[in-house]
Amino acid sequence: MDALLVANRGEIALRVLRTAHATGLRTVAVFTAADRDAAHVREADEALEVPGYLDVEAIVAAARDSGAEAIHPGYGFLSERAAFAREIEGTDGIVLVGPGSGVMEAMGKKDAARDIAVAAGVPVVPSYDLDADPAGFAYPVLVKAAAGGGGKGMRIVRSSSEYDAALAAARREALSAFGDDTILIEKYVEHGRHIEVQVLADHHGNVVHLFERDCSTQRRHQKVLEEAPAPTITQAQRELVTRSAVALCREVGYTNAGTVEFLLDSDSGEVYFLEMNTRLQVEHPVTEAVVRVRGERIDLVEQQLLVAAGRPLDFTQDDVTLEGHAVEARIYAEDSFGGFLPQAGTAELVRWPATPFGDPAAPVRVDAALESGQVVTSGFDPMLGKVIAWGADREEARTTLVDALDRTGVLGLTTNTGFVRALAAGTEFREAAIDTAWLDHAEVAAPDPEVALVTAAWVDAVLHSPRFSDRPGDPFATDGWRVAGPHARTLVALETPEGRRELRVDVPGHRVDDYFVREHRLADHTAVLSLDGSRETAYVNATAHKVEVAHRGQRHSFERPDAFADHGPAVGDGTLLAPMPGTVLDVHVTVGQQVDEGETLGAMEAMKMELALKAPFAGTVTEVHVAAGQQVPLGAVLLVVEADSAG
Amino acid sequence: MRDLGDAPSMRDLVADLRERLAVVRQGGSEAARAKHTGRGKLLVRDRVDRLLDPGSPFLELSPLAAYGMYGRDADDLNAVPSASIVTGIGRVNGREVVVIANDATVKGGTYYPMTVKKHLRAQTVAADNNLPCIALVDSGGAFLPMQDDVFPDREHFGRIFFNQANLSAQGVPQIAAVMGSCTAGGAYVPAMSDETVIVKEQGTIFLGGPPLVKAATGEVVSAEDLGGGDVHARKSGVVDHLAEDDAHALAIVRSIVDTLPATSGYPTPGRRIEPGPVEEPHESPDSLYDVVPTDTRTPYDVRDVIRRIVDGSRMHEFKKLYGETLVTCFAKIHGYDVGIVANNGILFSESALKGAHFIELCNQRGIPLVFLQNITGFMVGREYENRGIARDGAKLVTAVACSVVPKFTVVIGGSFGAGNYGMCGRAYDPRFLWMWPNARISVMGGEQAASVLATVRTDLETDEQVEAFKAPIRDQYETQGSPYYSTARLWDDGVIDPADTRRVLGMGLAVAANAPVPDPSYGIFRM
Repeated sequence: MDALLVANRGEIALRVLRTAHATGLRTVAVFTAADRDAAHVREADEALEVPGYLDVEAIVAAARDSGAEAIHPGYGFLSERAAFAREIEGTDGIVLVGPGSGVMEAMGKKDAARDIAVAAGVPVVPSYDLDADPAGFAYPVLVKAAAGGGGKGMRIVRSSSEYDAALAAARREALSAFGDDTILIEKYVEHGRHIEVQVLADHHGNVVHLFERDCSTQRRHQKVLEEAPAPTITQAQRELVTRSAVALCREVGYTNAGTVEFLLDSDSGEVYFLEMNTRLQVEHPVTEAVVRVRGERIDLVEQQLLVAAGRPLDFTQDDVTLEGHAVEARIYAEDSFGGFLPQAGTAELVRWPATPFGDPAAPVRVDAALESGQVVTSGFDPMLGKVIAWGADREEARTTLVDALDRTGVLGLTTNTGFVRALAAGTEFREAAIDTAWLDHAEVAAPDPEVALVTAAWVDAVLHSPRFSDRPGDPFATDGWRVAGPHARTLVALETPEGRRELRVDVPGHRVDDYFVREHRLADHTAVLSLDGSRETAYVNATAHKVEVAHRGQRHSFERPDAFADHGPAVGDGTLLAPMPGTVLDVHVTVGQQVDEGETLGAMEAMKMELALKAPFAGTVTEVHVAAGQQVPLGAVLLVVEADSAG
Repeated sequence: MRDLGDAPSMRDLVADLRERLAVVRQGGSEAARAKHTGRGKLLVRDRVDRLLDPGSPFLELSPLAAYGMYGRDADDLNAVPSASIVTGIGRVNGREVVVIANDATVKGGTYYPMTVKKHLRAQTVAADNNLPCIALVDSGGAFLPMQDDVFPDREHFGRIFFNQANLSAQGVPQIAAVMGSCTAGGAYVPAMSDETVIVKEQGTIFLGGPPLVKAATGEVVSAEDLGGGDVHARKSGVVDHLAEDDAHALAIVRSIVDTLPATSGYPTPGRRIEPGPVEEPHESPDSLYDVVPTDTRTPYDVRDVIRRIVDGSRMHEFKKLYGETLVTCFAKIHGYDVGIVANNGILFSESALKGAHFIELCNQRGIPLVFLQNITGFMVGREYENRGIARDGAKLVTAVACSVVPKFTVVIGGSFGAGNYGMCGRAYDPRFLWMWPNARISVMGGEQAASVLATVRTDLETDEQVEAFKAPIRDQYETQGSPYYSTARLWDDGVIDPADTRRVLGMGLAVAANAPVPDPSYGIFRM
């Protein structure tokens, strides 16, 4: 095998390209028009434009045209599309870096996968027959789409009265999302941990597992923190899941890397097979961080490529050991403290705690494609990258991760970094007490913006101080000089979520208001300050209109007050006057009527223009002075709206 | 103020200066300030700080104006701190501007004679250096009990508006923010401005206030309805912007400055002053305290002062061996070329001729002049008069008077007699004139004046009588020769810390660089 096409984008494309280059392969990237300047296009030896990352025909054609002998699908996109695998299988001279289409198809359907698991002796979640009487189920139960994934077409039902509606809704969602409304009904595990086993199988009948990962910290089935090995698992449970995973692979004739997912019922200690992912997982780096083969690290992508090339695995299960602990945090473009809304925009400044795709043996590893200045659109997966920390034990890995997230900054665009940092630093994660449902009801407190605000003020003042002057020796140097008196402090006014704050900064006196500030480092948008003795690292971007700070991973954006911003109509300005002499066309309201802000109260015609008379704020109409057809002079009082006292 | 004893050190004098300034910087009484801030208004120096760029220095002019004047008695030295007005130069959006801000906590911001003089002086600075004027208005108008010294004359209240019109005519922007009352004549400050802001429910502008309106026409009207922000922004058009509060008004003013063309004043022919790279002096400015004796009678080498002021402590001395009591040299201050003229003893014919020659050189080359004044006067006596020292002194005075390059004067010691003229005293229009706290200024020394006056009296017979006659004259000269007596009356632009001399001169040069230098021409040099 000499050339590899990577049918993906973003961090996973870069991840695959790194290993491909390290093993001496020629690499081919594909890209869509929006990704013309993306990092994976620059990184690959060759790049071909395709209409879309899901365009099977175009991608196979690109592989053929570029002479690639293998296609790595990454995760997402075509990675688990049996049709894609089948197309490649039908093309001479090209192989998929993944399992066969038949296996993919079998494992892609939950009902089929479940049957295979049962046949392999793998424990499965107790299920109910769709035709059985729902009154006889032991609630809660889970109603889920057989073809599903990512939480779509899934409903938790707590009583038989909710059952019919939930079933109908799940069917509808399943049909629209997957084109298949086959539904399964299973026992719902209230307190579960998500355990998954990494497997590797070659074309010569060898199957090994690379131990398990725990991905219990998830929100609505979206994984947030992942770790290896699992922190709460017993030796017996570990033996059960790893043995089951290998058995399942053998049963189905699995090849290449895969992941077998299990649900561990925390209350009963039972373990149930969930599903198998027939691809490389997002969280594979935690396995790479802790697994040793004869004492050496393993590169899962390299193993995938060797297997795809038909080579047998060069190690056995007995060679595989664990060393230390690893935790991964996924960085998403989302406002976790603002309803988890997806975010789009320009990542004006990006700081990762380690060079992405640098030394895989370093304690902190970053797999990310996001760079300063990159535009993040809502058109693709919102995951921007991953930060992985390794430690000799779980606590060391966890604290290393917290520290690494403190040194992660994305400005211009809100990410969940502050949220995962808070999670990783929290008691529940420290004690491994977060189960798969925890995040769906737990409230994580938004970080206090105070340190970020004080840092913003200090940095802004220092940037205005003579140290950063472009006029060295300027007699009007910005040191706040006054005639034979104390120098003036620098006022920094910023808008915060709690309103405007004015901070007074004394740069030579090392103060921001009452905080004593010691500056350890201020360069390259990085500020390391001690505030009243507490050392803090932050990333800062000060522009003409705002100062943005990433502190403990959280982005804080402080706008500068705008003198010409709309100060809004003050209460009492609810008198609508005729802006021109003209004729009243219509009056829609009467005295005492409640109106919303911006509601059209009437219309008048003047100078051949029709003008809508709108409520300046929500309130009550207290006076109506005109009627339709009435001529009014300039400035005539037409209507009066009084604001509601609560408003 | 501290008791300075017989021979106060320069450090003592500077500490005394700082104490005096700290007092006046507070503004009016605690009660007046509490009332002011209680209305949501900012104190005058806080307004200035907010108006200026973050960290901008503020070259305040004559902060000790009216010091020792207008008091109920001799001990009431700070009756009208800073003459109830703050003026100076700072940067807004990177450019130098003149700020003129009333202090309403001091007698309602009313105009005393020194207030008028200070306002006019700030306008002169703006005119000389093409600097936009920003007025922060909060004043009750003329101080009525002193109307005869405030209202009628050429350089009285009316001149403010005359200057505004003419500055605007020259393309020097006039901006006003009305942040309090602005009554009677004061109403013309915003009305005569190019662009104005008013603070809602704080600023008022009217020719006649509610009491006067009632007296004149019987109409009863509130101040807000008569001339409040809403009225002027929506109805009268006297102002252009309505601000929510002081901070908002100042932000709007900053935004206005941002819309001004990069340079003020209509283009006029002339040479431009441009700075080069800057080098700090090799000796710290603080060491000036130790090299300058505070007793003006003790001689020292003025080169020790120059080396602590100029870039790299380097001076290119001109005619070093001729007329040695006047040091003339080329040097740089904050990267600006300067010609320095510094006294190093009494003025003789040769020193005067050397000074005149050097000043002509600077004018020809377009190099600003710095005068370091420490002069008891020209040499007297038959020999010198007969050889025509008056003729040579006149040459120096002509050269100084007709200079077209910016001139800066620092009185670092004595400023007596015709030496004051030859060394560019206030009458010779230096762009700025500053005093060190050890400076003395009078037509002659107290002892000399007393002796001269005693000599022309015929009725003094005994030594006791002579002494009784001379003592009050000496006392008068002692009092009036003080730099604080001078600065109270705006004979200068302020008393400065000697260690700030280089910085202050640098600011002065940067300010002067806003205006071109015309071609030189002189009157008749008496040969």
